[in-house]
Parts: sequence; structure tokens; C-alpha cells
Amino acid sequence: MKRAAAVLRGAVFPLALIAIAQIAAMAVRLQSDTLASPAAVLAAGAGAFADGSILIATAQTLGNAFGGLALGGSAGLICGVLLGSSIVADRLMEFSVESLRPIPSVALIPVSMLTFGFGFRMEIAIVAFAAFWPVLILTRSAVSGVDAGLLDVARVLRLGPLARTVKIILPAALPRIFVAFRLAAGIALTVAVTVEVSTNPLGLGYNMMLAEQSLHPDLMLAYLLWIGIVGWALNFTINAAQRRFFGRSVQVRPVA
Amino acid sequence: MNVRIGWRLGSFAVGAVFIATWQVLANAHLISPVYLPGPDRTWGALVRGFASGTFPDQLWNTVQRMLVGWLLASLAGIVIGACIGLSRPARAYLGPTLEFLRPLPASAVVPLGIVLFGLSDNMVLSVIAFGALWPTLLATVHGFAAVEPCLYEVSRALGMSRLAVIWKIALPSSLPDILAGMRLSLTVSLILAVVGEMLASRPGLGSGILIAARTFHAPDLYAGVVLLGVLGYLTAQGLFAVEARLLRWRLHQR
Amino acid sequence: MVPQTQPLITFDRVSMTLGGTPVLTDIDLRIDAGDFVCVVGPSGCGKTTLLRLLGGLLEPTAGEVRYAGKRITEPRADIAVMFQDYGRALLPWRTVSGNVSLALEALGVPKDVRPERIAAVLATVGLSDKADRFPIELSGGMQQRLQIARCLAQRPQVLLMDEPFGALDAMTRQTLQDEVLSIVAASGATVFFVTHDLEEAVYLGNRVIGLLPHPGRIASDVNVALSRPRNQLMTREDPEFARLRRHLFDFIKDADA
Repeated sequence: MKRAAAVLRGAVFPLALIAIAQIAAMAVRLQSDTLASPAAVLAAGAGAFADGSILIATAQTLGNAFGGLALGGSAGLICGVLLGSSIVADRLMEFSVESLRPIPSVALIPVSMLTFGFGFRMEIAIVAFAAFWPVLILTRSAVSGVDAGLLDVARVLRLGPLARTVKIILPAALPRIFVAFRLAAGIALTVAVTVEVSTNPLGLGYNMMLAEQSLHPDLMLAYLLWIGIVGWALNFTINAAQRRFFGRSVQVRPVA
Repeated sequence: MNVRIGWRLGSFAVGAVFIATWQVLANAHLISPVYLPGPDRTWGALVRGFASGTFPDQLWNTVQRMLVGWLLASLAGIVIGACIGLSRPARAYLGPTLEFLRPLPASAVVPLGIVLFGLSDNMVLSVIAFGALWPTLLATVHGFAAVEPCLYEVSRALGMSRLAVIWKIALPSSLPDILAGMRLSLTVSLILAVVGEMLASRPGLGSGILIAARTFHAPDLYAGVVLLGVLGYLTAQGLFAVEARLLRWRLHQR
Repeated sequence: MVPQTQPLITFDRVSMTLGGTPVLTDIDLRIDAGDFVCVVGPSGCGKTTLLRLLGGLLEPTAGEVRYAGKRITEPRADIAVMFQDYGRALLPWRTVSGNVSLALEALGVPKDVRPERIAAVLATVGLSDKADRFPIELSGGMQQRLQIARCLAQRPQVLLMDEPFGALDAMTRQTLQDEVLSIVAASGATVFFVTHDLEEAVYLGNRVIGLLPHPGRIASDVNVALSRPRNQLMTREDPEFARLRRHLFDFIKDADA
């Protein structure tokens, strides 16, 4: 009952905004190249669903995002485990990591464009670069933060480095590694859309730009809304999975 | 102390090995030099770019956009975030909307920006400000909402005015969250500055490297990327230093 | 001097219901100036609620709480409150001096007067050399002393202390008990001290009030006729101390029954 009340209260503001926008648009008899009424946006969105264009674009964007996440995330995971397990490796790699990390992923768009041209590979490469770093940094700290007591257990049982990693370190660090991937997933989606908005001619970002350039503000806003929904749904699903698998033991605010 | 310097030098050495490997790969022409210039040519382009005044100009443009947008957004984010964070009804009614907007990719509003402002400097600035607003705003809301309740009791017991409570208790308490949000906002600002420049063809590092790529001037492209990396590094370090100064009452753990 | 016939603090048929549950019923209590009143009782008996009513942080559902004849409706500058969880009651971003200064700022004490008052109060609690440290650098006992210092800065007539030494180790607790006694003796303040430690209640107070829960009510009110100044060894070996302690022990045991 309390949940329902909370949901209703939360819906008041956006619904009120939409209602005001709709009434204003109808009162002014909006016919413009730049704005569209909420009803028109919904209609355009429905149309894009009907002819499948929005679904194809979603598949492209999500495919690129997950492809890059898988690539960059697994590389980040391996490197994170290595750097987290070995202080020597961590210290030696400090300069290289701290030099490459601040490069904004968007700066690599022209590089990737030059190397791969347009298409899937270019986008996946950039997403992979962007997803690599949060996974690396957070995995590194998760692994180095494994309880020393557990590492003592590994020593006493005389586990080799691989067995120790697989049986003790990874399971112990798993909740925080999951958080790392959750963060990286959001970044992956954002970077994918960014690449599509700026250069790559496929996916949701590109379709949105196309709608804007062809003076279809209703379609453009429909895509914007849909991107928001996809982002929210992705976040929601991952949060739910986290609660399901790890319970309330990992409540990390996604703020920093 | 000497041990630390030793490790530092060690990591520089490892970095140098990577750069040397890059040079070897470039020299071997496994990948065409049109796509992969070596560190030598990249350095050459860097020097040329600075000598000719191109890079300083582009750097200045990008930095200016980034910082102005970021400061505006941070200020707005703190003020609005404080108002929302301090008011439970506001949090209840606006919270879900904010949570929906949190995962929205900032670059998704670029087309909207183009629609409203055309391909202009204003467009880039507004997109930067809009995108950079959210991390700071959300962090501020969280900070103000999470003030230790016991401190509110202390303030009541001392008879402090509402304004005094906000200024002396809520704001300092929220500062760590606000600064973390501002750090994120700065990253977003840089990204949107580059994207905005690329799309609107406004002079800056972003458009610079895009043009270099399109005209197959790989050394200029790589030099620009290095410069953007340096910019990202310096701004992050700058903010860290400010944070360390303002938050020195916290004992930092690794 | 006119003899004080009117009590400083009066609880007049006070009842308190929180969230639909009656926490305190029909509390009648008179406290004279200079009293050191200790309040004990099992959990849920409402002793913290009693303290908060006195501090003006709560308003009674029925009855009146009066201070110097006037009803308490909000926190007063001359009644200082010391909170149980000292870690959460201190401002982590202000130094020791800064935390004490907060009380002075709230009272409107002019800026130029503050430094000497802060210094005086820090000297009283023995934190003078830690003036520029942050709370996180202090031990639990020192943090609690800092809270005492902040309260003293208000120059209070009444000190309300909510289980202030519960989270400290035994040695620190004994040290602080004696410090509080000497501070109070020097300032002549009236003290309302909530604790779950029966021995502490007898050691510190000149009066011990026992509350029982369901509903919260005063079930015992004993005078402690032990001599002052108190002494950790001598006072605790006094037969009267043992008698009082036994009385309270039985009181609590009966409460569980």
C-alpha cells in the first residue's frame, strides 16, 4: 500500500508536465519544425515501433553496448585481478594506467573511425575502451580488499595462484565486481549513444539525429524518450539482479 | 621515501617500454603509417601544433567551454539539489523523475540542443551545462537528504535558526557528496564539449581531431588525443587537490 | 538569600504517547536546583523520553513540564543536552574548537569573546592541546569530553546527559565520572543523568529514580546520602553504597519478573 502511494506521488510531477505540454501545444496549435506535442511524440513513437525501425535501432545500440562491455569488461576484469593481486604489478603499471585513463572515450572516436571506418567494430572498440577502466579500477580495489583472513586460509591450504584466484579471491570480490559491471553497463550505453550521435550512422543515437535533421521533432523526441526508457530499464534490471543475488550487502550509491 | 621514488621510476620505465613498443610497431609498418603514426611523429605534430598556435587556440576554446558549462551546471545543481534534498515532499514527488533521468545518456539531448539553438556555440554550451547538471544535482540531493539526523537534534537543542542549520550543518555535511558529483560533472563536461565541437564544427580540440581524422592527418589526430588526455588528467587532479583541501577532516583510506 | 522553596524542574502529571504507543504515564516529579538526579530502568521504560521532554525536544501529550515555573515548549539556552551517540552528535568537519564554537554561535555570543570562552571550557575538560584536531582523530573518551565542553560553553543551569558513558571502556568511564562530578561541583549545575548502569547511578547522584515500563512510570525514588566528594574506591566500599545498589538491583529484577 505504501509502495503504491509512493509510486503515485512520483508520477504526479511528470504526468502534470506532460499534461501542461499537451494543453499548451493544442492551445497554440503547434505546427513547428522544432517542437512537438506529447501526443504527436507518442504517435511518432508508435509508428516507429510499428515499422520496426526503433526495434532495429535498439538492437544495434544494445548489441554494440554489450559487445563493448563484454570485450572491455573481461579485459578490465583480468587486468584488475592481476593488479589487485600483485602489489608489484600494480605499482609498476601506475604510470601507464594513470596516463591512459583520463583520455575521454569520445576523443578516440576519430581514431576508431580512421582505423575501422563506420559500423559495429568502430563503436564496440570505443565502448570497450570506456568500459575497461571502471571495471579495472573497481576490480582492482575489490581484489586487493579481499579479507586478509581468507588469503591466510588459501596459504594454509597451499592453493596455487590459479586455484586461489578462482576459489577464494573471485567469489569474495564478486559483489563489488558486480557493482563494477553495473557501472560499466551504464557507461557502455551512454558511450554507444554518444558515438552514434556524433558520427556512427547506426543505432538509436543516429536515428535520433536523422529525425532532427529531417525536421521531425516528434520522432526525435520519441527516440529521446525511448533512450531514457532503455537506460532506466537497463539500470532497473541490473539493480534487481544485484538485489536478488547479493542482497542488501552491496548498497553502493552510484554517485561517485 | 626512497622506496616510493624507486617504484615511481619503475612505473615510468614500464611506461617507456610501452611507448618503445608502440614505436617499434609503427616502424615495422604492420599497420599503415596513415593509420598508426609512431610516438616520434605524434610528438612532432604536438610540437608543431603548439608552435603554430593551433593547439593553444583549440585548447583554450575547449577548456573555456568545459569550465563555463561545468561551473554554471554545478552552481545550479547545488542550489536546486539543496532545495530538493532538504524537503521531504519534494523528494517524494520529484525523486522518481530524477531517478528516471539519472541513467539518461547526456549526449542524447544533443539533437534537442541543435533543434533549439542550431549548430552554434550556445548549443554546445547548453548541452554541456545540461549534461553536467545531473551528476551534481543528484549527488547534492543525496547529500542533503543523508545528513546525520542526530545533528539536526543537536541544532534543535542549541536553538539554531533554519538558515544556520542549512549553512552550518547540512551544507558541510553534504560537501563530500557534492564534490564527488562535481567530479563526475567535470568528466561529462569534457565529453560533451568534445562531442559538441565535433557536431557543431566549433573550433576546439574536438573538431580539430575530427578534421585531422577526416583528412588522414594521423599524427595531428594522435597529438590531439594526447592533449585531451592531458586535459582530462589535469582537471581531475585539480579537483582532487581542491577536494583534499576542503575535506581534510576525513581520514582517507585507499 | 531567599530559600528555594519552589523546585527548579517540575513534571506535572506528564504523559507521552509516541506513534500510538503510550511511553510515559502520569509522571509526577520535582527536581530542586543543584540536584544530581540519575534515572535508571530497563529498556523501553521511557527514560530517554523523559530526558527529551526536559530538553524541549518533545512536547508532552498530557500534563506540563515546567522549568523555573514556566512551561517548557522548546529547547532552552540554559538547559544543555548531551546526546548518547557522541560520534554522531559532533560535527566531523569542524575542529575541537569549532565544535565548541557552534554552541557559542547559536547563543549569539560575539565573535571577539568566543576564543577565550572556548579556551576556558577546553581547559576544564582537558582538551586544550587538541584544540585544532578533528573529531575523527580523537578517542571515544575525548569525543565525549568534547560534547561535555560544548554543553559547558552554554553555561547551563541544567545538564541533561543521555547514557553518556555507555559506549566507553571501564577505565575511561570512571575517569569521566569523576570529571563530571568535579565540573558539576564547580558550576553548581543541576544534572539529569540517564544510565543503565546501577552502580554509576548510585555513585554519581544524590537521588536515583527508577522507571518501569509498560506503561512507563516512576516506581522508585531514593535519596543517596553518601558523602561528597565521591571517590571511586572509598565510596564504592561504603555499606550505604552496597545497600542502595542492592535495592536498585532488586528493583530491576522485580521489573523483569
